[in-house]
Amino acid sequence: MTLVQTQAGPGGAPAPAGRPRSWFTRNRRNLTFGRISFFAVFLGVPLAIYAVLVLSPFIQAVQISFTNWGGFSRDFEYIGFRNYAQIFTNDAFLTALRNNIILVIVLPLVTLVLSLALASIVTVGGASNGEVKGLRGSSFYRVISFFPYVVPAIVIGLIWGMVYNPRGGLVNGFLTTLGFSAFESFPWLGDPRTAMGATIFVIVWSMVGFYMVLFIAAIRGVDPSIFEAARLDGAGRFRTAVTITIPLIRDNVQTAWIYLGILALDAFVYMRALNPQGGPDRATWVMSQELFDTAFVANKWGLASAMGVVLALVTLAFAALVFLVNRLTGAEKEGGYQ
Amino acid sequence: MSNPNFRRRDFLRGSLVAAAMVPFGGALASCATGGGGGEEPAPQTGGGEVSAENPFGVAEGSTVDAVIFNGGYGVDYVEFAAGVMGAGPTGVTPEVSPSTAIATELQPRFAGGNPPDLIDNSGAQQIGFNTILDQLEDLTDVIDAPNYEGTTIRDTLYEGVLAPGTFGDKLAAINYVLTVYGVWYSSSLFEENGWSVPTTWDEALELGAQAKEQGKYLFVWGREAATYYQTMAIESAIMQGGDEVRLALENLEPDCWSKQAVQDVFAKMEQAVSEGYFAPGGAGTQFTVAQAQWSNEQLALLYPSGAWIENEMKDQTAEGFEMMGFPGLVVDPATAQMADALHSTAGEPYIVPSQAANVAGGKELLRAMLSQEAATNFAQQKLAPTIVQGTVPEDGFGSTALVSQTQMLANASSVFTYNFVSTYGMNQDQLVVWNSFLDGSIDAAQLTSDLQGITDAVREDDSVEKIEVS
Repeated sequence: MTLVQTQAGPGGAPAPAGRPRSWFTRNRRNLTFGRISFFAVFLGVPLAIYAVLVLSPFIQAVQISFTNWGGFSRDFEYIGFRNYAQIFTNDAFLTALRNNIILVIVLPLVTLVLSLALASIVTVGGASNGEVKGLRGSSFYRVISFFPYVVPAIVIGLIWGMVYNPRGGLVNGFLTTLGFSAFESFPWLGDPRTAMGATIFVIVWSMVGFYMVLFIAAIRGVDPSIFEAARLDGAGRFRTAVTITIPLIRDNVQTAWIYLGILALDAFVYMRALNPQGGPDRATWVMSQELFDTAFVANKWGLASAMGVVLALVTLAFAALVFLVNRLTGAEKEGGYQ
Repeated sequence: MSNPNFRRRDFLRGSLVAAAMVPFGGALASCATGGGGGEEPAPQTGGGEVSAENPFGVAEGSTVDAVIFNGGYGVDYVEFAAGVMGAGPTGVTPEVSPSTAIATELQPRFAGGNPPDLIDNSGAQQIGFNTILDQLEDLTDVIDAPNYEGTTIRDTLYEGVLAPGTFGDKLAAINYVLTVYGVWYSSSLFEENGWSVPTTWDEALELGAQAKEQGKYLFVWGREAATYYQTMAIESAIMQGGDEVRLALENLEPDCWSKQAVQDVFAKMEQAVSEGYFAPGGAGTQFTVAQAQWSNEQLALLYPSGAWIENEMKDQTAEGFEMMGFPGLVVDPATAQMADALHSTAGEPYIVPSQAANVAGGKELLRAMLSQEAATNFAQQKLAPTIVQGTVPEDGFGSTALVSQTQMLANASSVFTYNFVSTYGMNQDQLVVWNSFLDGSIDAAQLTSDLQGITDAVREDDSVEKIEVS
């Protein structure tokens, strides 16, 4: 983005060389009524709304996290860090934290690998002669795999809850038809060994289509001649995907990774729909569920706010980690936005 | 990046900081935790004239804001009562709004000091009573007022129904619906097969063996309702061991789950699990789906639950099911202390917040609900008795389960209930343990120590206020 840095005065007149005008004089000329009202409407109003509806609740949550507020009255006392101390000695919360960490590792990895693979096949994985293009009928696959994303998460959860139903559910019906009689009434969501896996499968299923479309758009933005050149040099489909596609769309991958990470750290809707009580041995109990219960069932709003703060910090730490990893693995320095 | 331009980033940063500071000023003062104010004492009467027809002095022309839990019983019965009240001389307009999440929806209104006039504080998201107790009206004056037929309300109620709403010496809630707990079955199915209703665990296990011959199971369970079997076990243990067992559990005593009466029941249940009398897969089955396996597919013979089960499964009950219930199973009838006792309590707690705009109106609507007319309507529509006596005719409005409930109430030598699970919010933790026990992954010893662990944790937690039960 260094193009913008060349000094061009207003109206396209070149700035006098060697004597840059001071910020003040430059700016005074720019502070016309139109410019100020533009700032006010397009920056001031959204910022004010953002501050009132987003920032102030955040700040208030931090404030409440240091109190013992019960939620239903105006009485509370400040109790310092006691809520935070309590969180980290609470088995249910620690289990939830562990489950969230499993989710945040597994979910983006599986979803992104699958959606990248699908996106590559649909865009550049077609016939190996002629123009570089996707598989035949690729637009059909695109619509099909995007479909689950259109269905609301809660509906997906309820549908899959029925699919996994031990008796009469699709999965067990299918498996028993194939002759696996051990699955006659196997509780996929009720066995500690399978509950998390089954849940992750549902979330991946619902998300793959969206990220596939995102990556297709990104790959379309890459100059096709690069893929042609790679093919002329003898690169196969896998090699093209790994050494050409991914590095060229790594910013999109990073964004997708962060989105999926945030989803994994929340996951409330899926968990609530599939296993409202947290699954066998709390195998699928996540932080947002513990927070919800602490606030609305146990009426410990101070403690719940502290959990919210911890959840926010974990999310920020995750985003920072993704940026760091992306940087360390050789992404270009951040562009030169002014 | 060293150009002296006015930099967009700095501008954004500056505005963000400025914006972030705003809430510290005026905005915060108006928010929930912004401090006191607005806590004027509620007037003693509603501003209207107090008379025999208007015992609480509701102001003429005022409105009553009622928020009712929209669960198994719906809200139409309150609307009916509102109609009964509207017909009276007070000229008051009740407004009934349904809610499925009482705590979530009303928390801001409580914190803001403008709660509704009458609340059905029920459902999975009810507001914990220890949280709002000091903000609630004492409802003793409602009970001592005459009903719409002229009898003092207190004299029209079943015995002991005020106990669950009494906290210390304050009647903070009136629980409207009488709930009978028991084990439910299809009397037509039993008749067809010549089975008799079990009264002891050994008879039940015998029945389980017979069921198995027909490819059926004795019990079925769903993951969110695994603790219905805890309810059943506690009922059994109390019937066997008497009040001593109930008090030990209620007061969170050390080793209360190891009492002989409790252990005997757990041993029988463990046997039922290991013999395969529980339909497998319950830990992964949604509870209404599991209940339909009993009521519709008739895959299982018995289901322990509250009497709401008939209404809950109305649309998913096999034709000619003829649901009946019995109070529970004892281990050894020869030594049972309270073999004829019944677990019954009043549910659907109605509360009137002291800060409400129309306290008298809230009480008046409650009085209308306790009238013979409204109570009879409830029993007829919902096939469940209210706390008002004499509203269910002989034929139970054609419901065998309702007849069965009235019979169980009439035959009971005494009525008991327990509250420790809901008082201390233990159900969530206990569900985990019971799901594991019922699917056979832990044994009775592990069940005992896990449940004891949950009880001990609450007892040792100083931040939880204990309620002494005697």
